[in-house]
Amino acid sequence: MRLLLVEDDPMVGEAVREGLRQESYAVDWVRDGKAAEIALAAEAYDLVVLDLGLPRRDGIEVLKRIRAARNDVPVLVATARDALGDRIKGLDSGADDYLLKPFDLDELAARVRALLRRAAGRAHPVIRCGPVTLDPATREVTVHARAVSLSGKEFALLAALAERPGVVFSRAQLEERLYGWGEEVASNAVEVHLHNLRRKLGLDLIRNVRGVGYTIEGGA
Amino acid sequence: MSSLRRRLLVALLGALVLVGVVASAATYLSARAEINALLDDELRQVALSLRDHAVLDLSRLTGGAGDVGQRVVVQIWDPRGSILYLSNSTTPLPLSRASGLATISYEGREWRMFTDTLGPQTIQVAQATALRRALATDVALRILVPILAALPLFGVLIWLVVGRGLAPLARLARSIAARSATALEPLPDEGTPAEVAPLVGSLNGLLARLDQAFGMQRRFAADAAHELRTPLTALGLQLQLLERARGSADQALAIARLKEGVKRATRLVEQLLVMARLEPEAAERSSGPIELGALAHSVTAEFAPLAEAQTVALTVAAGPPVTALGSEDALRIVLSNLLDNAIRYTPAGGRIVVRAAREGAAPVLEVADSGPGIPLVEQTRVFDRFYRVPGTEFPGSGLGLAIVKQVADMHHARIELGPGLDGAGLAVRVRFALA
Repeated sequence: MRLLLVEDDPMVGEAVREGLRQESYAVDWVRDGKAAEIALAAEAYDLVVLDLGLPRRDGIEVLKRIRAARNDVPVLVATARDALGDRIKGLDSGADDYLLKPFDLDELAARVRALLRRAAGRAHPVIRCGPVTLDPATREVTVHARAVSLSGKEFALLAALAERPGVVFSRAQLEERLYGWGEEVASNAVEVHLHNLRRKLGLDLIRNVRGVGYTIEGGA
Repeated sequence: MSSLRRRLLVALLGALVLVGVVASAATYLSARAEINALLDDELRQVALSLRDHAVLDLSRLTGGAGDVGQRVVVQIWDPRGSILYLSNSTTPLPLSRASGLATISYEGREWRMFTDTLGPQTIQVAQATALRRALATDVALRILVPILAALPLFGVLIWLVVGRGLAPLARLARSIAARSATALEPLPDEGTPAEVAPLVGSLNGLLARLDQAFGMQRRFAADAAHELRTPLTALGLQLQLLERARGSADQALAIARLKEGVKRATRLVEQLLVMARLEPEAAERSSGPIELGALAHSVTAEFAPLAEAQTVALTVAAGPPVTALGSEDALRIVLSNLLDNAIRYTPAGGRIVVRAAREGAAPVLEVADSGPGIPLVEQTRVFDRFYRVPGTEFPGSGLGLAIVKQVADMHHARIELGPGLDGAGLAVRVRFALA
């Protein structure tokens, strides 16, 4: 899952990016409203964490433009503007959730999970895909009811595939979901993580569609 | 406590008594003159009638029974100086040779006497002057007594009328007393008497200034609370990252970040305190001539270690002594904030020059650096509280330049931004008003 973090404060931004990366999200961090719009135009994000008090373009304006461009990406507003009017305005401008500063990293992560879940059309917190279940909150994964221990990137890769069973992802698409800007990526990183996943989950679960990419079969 | 009402009562009653006394004294004097004329005439009439009709019922005139003071004394002398007639049984008044009216003293009393020497006998008609005084006093008392008798009534009336006259003041006092500390809207001034209107006007002026000051305080508190939220958010997040950190390298990184966060929050609180303590009157209260060059040297010396750590060359441009009027503490804060900014933003190898000089006649304090400068479009906003230039890498409170501006305003000094050193950077100039 690739998230866009829009936050002008260097310390808050760095800490939130770090916290979200620890949750195995690929996080791109921009510091002003205009940069946010450029990033949104260039990349497909699964979710945006948006501060409102931004230089160069206010967060509310960014939000309105996202919706005006018919972009349905879930937007979580995280701001110090705590007045009731601001909260209502934020939600009415197209935000999916509104989180007040100072907030807790765990709460932020939980809200991000909830928004991603809803965006994927699920209400159940645990993702099921064939014999595999994965819980984004606890990051526990089971195959045939047997617990499997995965690294952060492996979990992110499996989540990306399992979120949309049957959809074929190219290597580049998967890489995008795994790595934010500035994260060092070895050229064969995705293949290495896929190899490890297959070793841990069973060879037949993730299918390689030759010349196109990878998919996970939905099944029952 | 002195009461206007009581003071007016005493003064007005006193004035009334004074008027009464003066009026009755005047009456006394004029009455006495009239009575003198009248009775003198009477004395003459009696004397003349005695000369014309030697036989007269003298006992009727001299009214034997009454007080000696009231009676008219008649004495008739023959040309040889022997008493022919004496209405008083006692010793006669001395014989006067002069004809006409005279005032004489006799047996401890003062007498008014008419002597007629034109006939064969000398006729003397006299009357004690005490009678005349008594008559005049009586007339005067008729004026004074009613005034004195009416004093209590006047007192009550004055008390009531003055009370009524002062009612607008009492109303004003009640309406102010009934207010809460935050009710600062102006007092109503319709129906206010002309004498109370200036009071209401100046009270309203004070209320307006208070309202403005309170408003500023409230905004400042709200802004400050709002601005504290960001560093506190950062601290909370950094603490959580520290909790999550596994391995000593991660932990060390998280601790380093947390320390930075604490440092930043501390600095913001310090700057807020500085700002809150900068009262507008402080400049005037602790105002004195300050040698700007000495101040520049002193503050620059404090920042020398920081500049050295950043490998920035920090110097003071020497010049003739320049003095400006102001508060040394406040100007020290200005210079500290400017130097702090300059050192923060000037890259390694750059330089900063502090200069105290006289431009024209105006004292000027300048900090110039070879840093990135401030884009022209941002230059008007950098003095706003909590405003930070977008894309600023370094954590700051956004208060430094706002404080500089506030102190400059306190000193009626202007701040000018201009190009800095080496064709780049920023020069901040504080131009003082001419002393």
